[in-house]
Amino acid sequence: MLKIDQYAYTSSLRHVHPGEKFAFAMLTMSICLAASSVLVPALVTGLTAAAIILGARVPARFYFRLLLLPLGFLVAGLLAITLTISREPDPAVYGFAIWGITLGVTIPGLYHAALLFTKSLGAVSCLYFLSLTTPMVEIISVLRRLKVPALIIELMGLVYRFIFVIMETAGSMYISQTSRCGYASLKTSFRSLAQLVSNLFVKSCYHSQALFTALLARGYTGEIRMWEDPRPVSRKNLALIALVDFILLVLVLVSWRWPV
Amino acid sequence: MHSRILVLLLLFTCFMIFPQQNAWAMHIMEGFLPLKWCLFWYALTLPFLVAGILSIQKTVKVDPGVKMLLGLAGAFAFVLSALKLPSVTGSCSHPTGVGLGAILFGPWAMSVLGCIVLLFQAVLLAHGGLTTLGANTFSMAVVGPLAAYVIYRLGERLALPRWLSVFLAAFLGDLLTYVTTSIQLALAFPASHGGVVAAMIKFMGIFAVTQVPLAISEGILTIIVFNFLVAHNRHELEQLRVLSREV
Repeated sequence: MLKIDQYAYTSSLRHVHPGEKFAFAMLTMSICLAASSVLVPALVTGLTAAAIILGARVPARFYFRLLLLPLGFLVAGLLAITLTISREPDPAVYGFAIWGITLGVTIPGLYHAALLFTKSLGAVSCLYFLSLTTPMVEIISVLRRLKVPALIIELMGLVYRFIFVIMETAGSMYISQTSRCGYASLKTSFRSLAQLVSNLFVKSCYHSQALFTALLARGYTGEIRMWEDPRPVSRKNLALIALVDFILLVLVLVSWRWPV
Repeated sequence: MHSRILVLLLLFTCFMIFPQQNAWAMHIMEGFLPLKWCLFWYALTLPFLVAGILSIQKTVKVDPGVKMLLGLAGAFAFVLSALKLPSVTGSCSHPTGVGLGAILFGPWAMSVLGCIVLLFQAVLLAHGGLTTLGANTFSMAVVGPLAAYVIYRLGERLALPRWLSVFLAAFLGDLLTYVTTSIQLALAFPASHGGVVAAMIKFMGIFAVTQVPLAISEGILTIIVFNFLVAHNRHELEQLRVLSREV
């Protein structure tokens, strides 16, 4: 039901140690964010795109569709950043004036927007690399090794387990409501959706009680232990990650020292 | 002539973006915030998370079943955010569940749950991001629920009709979330003319188009949901009442 989750389980990089993938995604993302020129973010986007499409064998079409997802926020946000509004006419601003207020864009503003655009794209691509190659269960196990509090880890496991149950329930409720014209007008839609939400809530409460009873019956003492597939750490991968991130880091430092 | 084309272009982009725009618009996307602001918001969120974990741990010690309930509540919130909400303007958007969650589970539990749900949304739905998780948690899981909870309790104290305090909690919780996000964006990207304040007005203006109708719809929806729960599921609510007082 969740496409990203499905690809994470079937990707060709599934059997790589999750820590390696996590480290690669986070390091590359940080380096990408630290960049001050367009070059490194563009490189990062290309690299992760190649890793996702060629390495993990996720269909290119799906990857590009995913890249379009945050576009709404990106365009709206960039619009707000580049749009300059001032009372006095400014020769540096290219635009027009309405009622004595100048609306327009500046050249440095446009450059800044372009940089931000590529940086966001690079970072999003890194995120997709992680989420398209590593199933949530393995991300949780990485977080556990990173000493995230046990309560959060356990809650994450429960949430992940029940997302699918609740989603299916909500889906079938939605279908049966729609087939009875539940969403025919605005008024009925509000009513139907409210019924759906309140029913879903009650069902969740019921599920949680049933789960607790079932766990108690199996000797639950406040800890759920799960089996983890053993994944060997590969030196070759570690060296590759270190090399790639080192080169990117050097490029970033060079562009800091000698800005274009 | 030149300016007219620009105006047309601007209007065109607005129409291109806004019909599909929804509550996701308020998740700051991955990589949008500079590194230092990401760290700043993480640091600011941390104490709330710690407080949330401590209060949950205290409740769990008394009643271990609460952990399961919170896990289910997290999944419930995640699914809720994937539902379509009929909007007053006709376009569809997504409920955030900030107000409902805060009233049902209390603000402290919501900070932890919200953080987890936002992480899941980033990884599984590609909405929001890992570097911006701190900022998003602060606006959506700390400020929003806290405001909604305080308003709801205040309404109870002032003996307002229940529907009004539920509406105000959900509506203002949503609105304050959106104002917080605008402040976060404005702090990271101050305008060249007028600084942070001008930038904030710009961000709020651009996002107001979607967020104000959304907040109203969410307020109405929350009232109806709450009425259904009061009418048919008093028992669960009473159970949670205990929970929301302690957690």
